[in-house]
Amino acid sequence: METSIGPIPRPRGAKADIGALGAPYTWRTLVVLIAIAALLFVSARRVEVDKFLSLTGEAISAQFGFKESSQVGRGLSRVAQDLFPITLAYRTDVSRVADLDDARLPWLAYIETVQHREYRMNPTTSQLEETVSEKRVLVEPLGYLTLTIGKMIETIEIALWATILAVLLSLPLAYLGAANYTPSKAIYALSRGTVSLLRAIPELISALFLVLAFGFGPVAGFLALGLHGAGFLGKFYAEDIEAADKKPQDALRALGASKVRVLRLAVLPQVMPSYIAYTLYILDRNVRMATVIGLVGAGGIGQELKGRYDLFEYGNVATILVVIFVTVFVLDQISARLRARLIA
Amino acid sequence: MTSSAQLRGVEGQHHPMLSFHGLTKQYPDGVKALDEVTFSVPRGEFCVILGPSGAGKSTLLKTLNGLAEPSSGKVVFDGEEVSRRTLRRVQKRVATVHQQFNLVERLNVAQNVLSGAIADATLLQVMLQWYPHSFRQKACDLVARVGLEPVHLARRMGELSGGQQQRVGIARAFILDPDVILADEPVASLDPATSRDVLTLLHDAARERGTTVLCSLHQVDMGLSFADRVIAMRRGRIVFDGHPDAITDAELAQIYEGSDEDRRLAA
Repeated sequence: METSIGPIPRPRGAKADIGALGAPYTWRTLVVLIAIAALLFVSARRVEVDKFLSLTGEAISAQFGFKESSQVGRGLSRVAQDLFPITLAYRTDVSRVADLDDARLPWLAYIETVQHREYRMNPTTSQLEETVSEKRVLVEPLGYLTLTIGKMIETIEIALWATILAVLLSLPLAYLGAANYTPSKAIYALSRGTVSLLRAIPELISALFLVLAFGFGPVAGFLALGLHGAGFLGKFYAEDIEAADKKPQDALRALGASKVRVLRLAVLPQVMPSYIAYTLYILDRNVRMATVIGLVGAGGIGQELKGRYDLFEYGNVATILVVIFVTVFVLDQISARLRARLIA
Repeated sequence: MTSSAQLRGVEGQHHPMLSFHGLTKQYPDGVKALDEVTFSVPRGEFCVILGPSGAGKSTLLKTLNGLAEPSSGKVVFDGEEVSRRTLRRVQKRVATVHQQFNLVERLNVAQNVLSGAIADATLLQVMLQWYPHSFRQKACDLVARVGLEPVHLARRMGELSGGQQQRVGIARAFILDPDVILADEPVASLDPATSRDVLTLLHDAARERGTTVLCSLHQVDMGLSFADRVIAMRRGRIVFDGHPDAITDAELAQIYEGSDEDRRLAA
């Protein structure tokens, strides 16, 4: 029986010397640093970092009057000119609108008469003649804005359904892919593999193929986003189940409860706050991605954006961009508040 | 009070509530947590297991509720051998009070007490946490019995003190009127005064219902004052089994010799 507590014995032959710690850096550190620098240098040329530096320098020197103009400055000012003024109104030729009743125009709308000049070659004189005709145009002052907002709502709906799909798909995948709840190793591997695969395919690429399968429109968009979101949620949900405190699970297991019951009572309450956080993040991300995914024809505001951009109607593009920005900003605020309230 | 436990007790007097036969548990690293442990516990007994850390007390309890599987030997519960096949049935009649309480942090007191009925309620009731009236009534009665106020029902675990949490743990253990309660160091993380209160509660509540209790403890003085019977273990073996008055100081000193508790006892 040990009774006395003497000084801590030091192992024989070991000398506490600073040399035993070793040098903080060795020649290998230097070699590795040089290799990394060389690789970055080669890579910088490939992604035109040099071009970025020279053009930015040119733009800055133009700004301070050292140079006449710069490529970047010209590009930016052209964009600014094209985007403004933004187009809020919708103008339609009255002749194109079927049975328009002048007395019962849509809300806020009015009819404008514009002079329409046309140059036409007179076949007899072979001269260009100017003909001026009066044209009546139906103007809906906020028509285009309304249409854009409608498209934005459709985009949010795509994001919402994508999130619902992602949650519905990832809950069973998480259960099967959580090492401590999966029925078998094979199912675990299968589930984790599926989740990785879903996460590996970018939404834009899968949307491209889904458009081929389901046709243009929101269906391809919400499927693409939902599958990708399931890839994320399936992984995060499963990892949270694995990391949950084991003690309450043991307690309920010892009472003879099945896995599903233990999961419901001992795991779900623990992981709920982070599940809500992940899901809100995916919803957030889906709204942003849903605006982009229309570029490949998968519905939403992106499809409208692409159409207007291709027709050089930059005023309309500007309206779309403003609506997207405002929406994302507002949704950010809402989801921050929702998160704070739900995770209490 | 006539509980189902007592009724069952009257019918089957011929066999003990619990018995362990040559129980051995060897971990993969070669450590023998239990070494040929044999004893039986009659109905309604409050049996305290003493011993230093690592003596095998927890492992012994876990062989009954299925959290540990013995390497050899058998555990017989109410005349029925505990095996994979019978485990579920046994688990429903055995409740455990844990050292770290093992309650669900983010559920409230009522939900935690009701979670004790997890294996008896229907799947839908568990999924929705919507238990029948009888269970809810019982949970309320138990919460009052363990000395908590009705206002505590809706409090989450994080808002309660350790002693209050263990009271919830005890209420959870009693909700299905188990035949046996395993208490694995139920007061190890509580201060001495609270420990005594909580142990008194467990003892009295079990006595009222005729519940058999197998309780591991490392506080010797408390073990001796509450127990109907003391079993002392050291290195996986039983070194004393008998009435608490029968154990001598010399025997106690021998049990705890060289352990951390030994130093604490000496101090």
